[in-house]
Amino acid sequence: MSQPAAEQTIQADDSDWRRLDRRMLLIHPIQTLIRALPALLAIFLVRTGSDNSDRWELFILPLIVAYGFARWFTTRYRISETQIELRHGVITKQTTTARLDKVRTVDLTAQVWHRMLGLAKVEISTAGTKDRLVLDALSLEAGRRLRTELLHRAEGTVPDSRAAPAPTAQSPVDRAWPAPHGPPVVATGARDEELLRLELPWVRYAPLTMSGFVSAAALLGVGSQLANQLSDQGEIYETAFTWAIGRGLLLGAVLLLLAVTALAIGGYLLAFWNFRLTRNPLGSLHTTRGLLTTRETSIDSSRLRGVEIGEPLGLRLARGGRLKSVTTGLGREARGGTDVLSPPAPSARVQTLALDITGDGAAVRDPLVPHGPAARQRRHTRALAPAGIVAVGWAAMVLSFDWPWGWLLVSVLVLLGALALARSRAAALGHLLTDRHVVVQSGSLDRSRVVLDRGGVVGWTVRQSLFQRRMGVATLIVTTGAGRQHYEAIDLTPAAAYALIGEIHPDLLAQFPTP
Amino acid sequence: MEEEATSAPVAAGTLREPAHRVSPRAIRMWTVHALIGMVLLLAGQIAWWILADDPRIWHWVVGALWLVLGGGYAIIMPRWRYHVHRWEATSEAIYTQRGWLSQERRIAPISRVQTVDLKRGPITQLFRLASVTVTTASAAGPLEIEGLDVQEARRLVDALTAAAAAETGDAT
Repeated sequence: MSQPAAEQTIQADDSDWRRLDRRMLLIHPIQTLIRALPALLAIFLVRTGSDNSDRWELFILPLIVAYGFARWFTTRYRISETQIELRHGVITKQTTTARLDKVRTVDLTAQVWHRMLGLAKVEISTAGTKDRLVLDALSLEAGRRLRTELLHRAEGTVPDSRAAPAPTAQSPVDRAWPAPHGPPVVATGARDEELLRLELPWVRYAPLTMSGFVSAAALLGVGSQLANQLSDQGEIYETAFTWAIGRGLLLGAVLLLLAVTALAIGGYLLAFWNFRLTRNPLGSLHTTRGLLTTRETSIDSSRLRGVEIGEPLGLRLARGGRLKSVTTGLGREARGGTDVLSPPAPSARVQTLALDITGDGAAVRDPLVPHGPAARQRRHTRALAPAGIVAVGWAAMVLSFDWPWGWLLVSVLVLLGALALARSRAAALGHLLTDRHVVVQSGSLDRSRVVLDRGGVVGWTVRQSLFQRRMGVATLIVTTGAGRQHYEAIDLTPAAAYALIGEIHPDLLAQFPTP
Repeated sequence: MEEEATSAPVAAGTLREPAHRVSPRAIRMWTVHALIGMVLLLAGQIAWWILADDPRIWHWVVGALWLVLGGGYAIIMPRWRYHVHRWEATSEAIYTQRGWLSQERRIAPISRVQTVDLKRGPITQLFRLASVTVTTASAAGPLEIEGLDVQEARRLVDALTAAAAAETGDAT
């Protein structure tokens, strides 16, 4: 390990290089140890089986710890006028660079051990690359400063980025990082405007969201598998099981409901505890959340292309909703919840928030232009056709196996459910054009209303399946560099679709005049 | 799958079709694509013939289905596609139309174009064709023109690159 020499050359060459927070010297060895644990166990197991009495495995432990230290000593980063550069790797040296003008979001994440030591991991996403530049970790203060500086570089508040030659233990990077000139724009400063703060009663929405539903489904899955196994064991078990069901069905259902609710509430609190959304004087949005692992996400205002108001079925029935940002630069996949602008919350609050952020009341609240009878009919066909097949198949089974006639009710329920779904999906369809935004809405189980900045539209697709052509409708797909990358207005008439394109990009259609 | 359907590409709406067809050789290219798929299916059937010893009648039934459906696909799909596939580019915009059963038109302003790619696979080269893919800042919806004559594709790429270079900004 020749890091002292390496350190000298670095210091001699360029003094800009900075290290991660010193407190990581405590965490890195432990992390390395945990990662090496399976290998250690394997070695230990092999050794107990052999009669070799050399205790050379004792040397492995210090080596691993040394490797952990080496990670800290070999990780350096620096920020120049144009780019941020990260060098790391004990054995293989890696250099990652990101152009500062391409920085889209900066997230601070603090897991439990980070929080105990006052540290935070800084993740920097840039446009055009899938990789994130990760600094694991800086002190919370230093991380916040770095974020402020990265996000507001465009505004011309670039501080001098010279590292102090010998950082003090107290706050190594604080000294290395003088406060920006001009107005203080620290993202959590006093001049920030608070847009939303979690209110505890909102946990009532927790069991109504998808995550609550998923835990319920998992539990139900385990339960039914158990039931199947039991009923395969023969008649004794079967009678016992039927008896148990008769006795315990109600109790079981209640317990299941309680368990699902508890799980969902737990998940909600873990994710959204202390949720706070603020906007700083320059317009950047900033969220803080989390019970054990805390997350801070900042979105530069120039990256924001709109919002997505989500009202999945469960939330909608309870007059709840949630808000996500539509932001450029994040790929479709690499966005672990960085787009959350509100936890599941009362609809009215979500709407007010959407209004606050977009400044366009019509886009958020106004009734949408419906998509007409053909769209309505297609929603019914598409829901009822598969449901009809299921219902008929089920009925055939009931009749051919001589099951009780009551089971036919299932077929009826399936059909009624499909009808309700079709009606709800048809009612959801709509679009709207305001002077600043284009709005599209669709879906029932997962309904969303997307308010997209007109300027965020980068292209158009008009798609027609064979069936859509026969019905004289088309799906208009708005492509954008933000959020989900494309948003659909389903089953418009082609005329309405082209009219919408013409409204937003008048010059575009004029390029292809009818002769 | 009647032939008449080919005479009704994307319903007119208020926008005419793009002006240019792709090369007629594209029909042969798409036919080869279809035939390759058929050969793969045939390989599966031969394996089934050799390995299984169930009544041969089923092999003949599946074989007949393969011939009718696969043959129909190989004859109809390329011609239908050729009938639909069109493109047009101006200094301001690019406009494509593609598909057969499901059809779509894509339009993007040149100012939002990020990359222009020319691609030539082995089969494409065989027929002196190329495909041009135009991407925007959106990960969804690149505009792709398949089955262009190589010379024409090169001219298109040059024209688009020049037009896109004239624009500034990061096109998001």
